[in-house]
Amino acid sequence: MTSSISLQHNQTQPVLAMHQVSKLYGEGSGRVAALDEVSVAIPRGGFTAIMGPSGSGKSTFMNVAAGLDDATSGEVVLAGQPLSKLGDEGRTVLRREQVGFVFQAFNLVPTLSALENILLPFDLAGRKVTAEQRQWIDQLVHTLGLAERIDHRPSELSGGQQQRVAIARALASQPAIIFADEPTGNLDSRSSREVLTLLRTASREYGQTIAMVSHDPVAASYADRILVIADGRIVGDHGPLTPQQISDLLIGFEIGAPA
Amino acid sequence: MNARNLTLGSLRELGTVGLVAGLCGAYAATLIMAASMLGALDDGSGSGADAMLTVVASVFIGIALYVGTVVIINAVDTVISGRLRHIALLRLLGSSARSLRRSVMRSTVTVGAVGAAAGLLAGTALADVVRIVLVSRGTMPKGDYPLVSPQLAVAFVLIAASAMVAGWLGSRVVLGVSPATALAGTTAYRRAPLRKSVLRAVLAVLFLGGGFAVLGLGAMVGESSEMGFFIAFLGSVASATGLLIGARFVIPRVVSMFSRLLGGDPSSRIARRNAVLDPLRTTRSTMGLVIGVTLVTTFASGMRALSDSVSSWDLDPEQAAMARQVLSVASTVLICIIVISSIIAAVGFVSTMSLTVLQRHREIGLLRALGFTRSQVRTMITKESVALSASAVLFGIALGLVYGTLGAQSLVGVMTTGLVWGLPLPALIVIALAGLVLVLVSSRRPARRAVAVTPVEALRIEA
Ligand SMILES: Nc1ncnc2c1ncn2[C@@H]1O[C@H](COP(=O)(O)OP(=O)(O)OP(=O)(O)O)[C@@H](O)[C@H]1O
Ligand SMILES: [Mg+2]
Repeated sequence: MTSSISLQHNQTQPVLAMHQVSKLYGEGSGRVAALDEVSVAIPRGGFTAIMGPSGSGKSTFMNVAAGLDDATSGEVVLAGQPLSKLGDEGRTVLRREQVGFVFQAFNLVPTLSALENILLPFDLAGRKVTAEQRQWIDQLVHTLGLAERIDHRPSELSGGQQQRVAIARALASQPAIIFADEPTGNLDSRSSREVLTLLRTASREYGQTIAMVSHDPVAASYADRILVIADGRIVGDHGPLTPQQISDLLIGFEIGAPA
Repeated sequence: MNARNLTLGSLRELGTVGLVAGLCGAYAATLIMAASMLGALDDGSGSGADAMLTVVASVFIGIALYVGTVVIINAVDTVISGRLRHIALLRLLGSSARSLRRSVMRSTVTVGAVGAAAGLLAGTALADVVRIVLVSRGTMPKGDYPLVSPQLAVAFVLIAASAMVAGWLGSRVVLGVSPATALAGTTAYRRAPLRKSVLRAVLAVLFLGGGFAVLGLGAMVGESSEMGFFIAFLGSVASATGLLIGARFVIPRVVSMFSRLLGGDPSSRIARRNAVLDPLRTTRSTMGLVIGVTLVTTFASGMRALSDSVSSWDLDPEQAAMARQVLSVASTVLICIIVISSIIAAVGFVSTMSLTVLQRHREIGLLRALGFTRSQVRTMITKESVALSASAVLFGIALGLVYGTLGAQSLVGVMTTGLVWGLPLPALIVIALAGLVLVLVSSRRPARRAVAVTPVEALRIEA
């Protein structure tokens, strides 16, 4: 398959590269720059937290980077493919093969069981699950405490369980990059810790690239890089920090940010 | 924003209710006026024929009303199911389920009454215009025809009442909404648990089994006696009643069985699951089609079997041609009268398909994000429509062939050796084509809507 060749070919290149990407909403005086000339690269294997005040452009960043939404200007290169050169179909296939998602609110296909949801990326790409992948999925299901619920429909799962199924789905197919919008938003602090540890392990031991939007300094402290967005611009790019350091960092921006 | 808007959305979403009530009204008016004109024609020759006509018209109107009610129940149910969170919010803020349902009922009565009035008016006007044209052309004798009929008022009340009942039954979903749903982060679909009706199951089995046994008996008796048709008629009525009572057990199984043929890829699998997600909705959205197709096929098949057996009789060519002509005119008229129920059912089916796509906005956005291409989304919607409508059409055809053939056998078995199968090929081809058109029409708009869904707007938190 061409995509896996290009994947190996670009082993040293960043998984995600954005060059002067802007995303504008509205017209005339009501115009909002949700992203304002953002340039950033996310290397393979990194666990990046994206933080910033509400309305600063984090979700927009994720949508544009993942090819869910068009940039107004600039270029996004995802898994070696410039998105502006791909049509809707090409981007859909790219997402299917290279991107894993955890959304904030609505994650699972209601008519599919938890396991079927986890296996959906394989089904869509027409890939067979190898014995090795099967083992990885079993391990994920176990670590995420989903073993007993695996045949249940989403409507029979709690919000936190649904979120964990989504996390298992994102990790299962070992995509080039996982985008997660507040993946611990619905979890109590203990399962939240377990999920974050799992994400960090996936990144450190299996080289899984992860970009995670979060408001929570504790969650962000699991990442090895912290990007801070304010008013559509990247205003901070830090290495790993403690929750306390992150809180201090954010307070500066919350005060500075327009209401 | 008042409670009704939050429960049902705009009145536009009740368009189906108005349309169906209108169709029922127009249909009822046409039949009533036709019956009253025919009654005026054979003035004086005794009121027996008059009463007979009224009974026949009432039966057909009754069938259309039944189908219309089922369609309206489904439309209301589908609209409300798509707004469970709004309803939960209302419940959280203190509305009782009862008062919500009552407001739904008021809306459907209002819309239903307006539709019925418009339809009755249109049907009456149409009948009057046709009559005036026919009389002026001399096709119909001059006479003292009534402009309107008092029975129209009865029809109006019945249609409005049906809309009311449908509003009440269709809003049953509200009962399953606990205020807590508003607080949960998910929009998971949960139906109020249906009372497990053992009584319903038992009655269905009794009527179905008994009815078909009596129908078979009638066909057998028909071989040697004139009594056969009467027995077969009783059997048909009983088994049809059993089917109506047990539809919610039978139809989802038929759909589920048939939809296995669609394939095993993700878009087929999701289409299949959605088609049978809610047995009651599956039943309601296909039942009207089953009824319509069954009736049409029954008449077509019965007439076919009759005309085939006429051919085997010892008649001189002139008589045989005459008999066949009478049969073909009779079957054409009957089928035209009965086809309206299928049309009402089809309208309901199209609107249900549209509404379910609206309701599944988020799910479709998610599928797009996860890698469903536009054409896969389109395929998914089309296959759901195929699963439902093809099952309904095939099931209806099968039933119709059985009823038509056995009915004809019971009627003329005495005069014909062996069983004459009524296989009305032209009619079956027309039905199959109509089914195909229905799939295309019912899936086009929803599919276009579904394809236009973008993941970003569908997955926004307050989508
Ligand atoms: N469809 C849209 N039309 C107009 N403006 C939009 C649209 N989507 C987002 N915006 C604006 O773009 C800016 C960035 O929005 P975005 O959703 O990316 O913020 P965010 O950082 O994810 O906020 P939060 O933390 O609250 O989720 C906001 O000012 C928002 O109002
Ligand atoms: Mg956001």
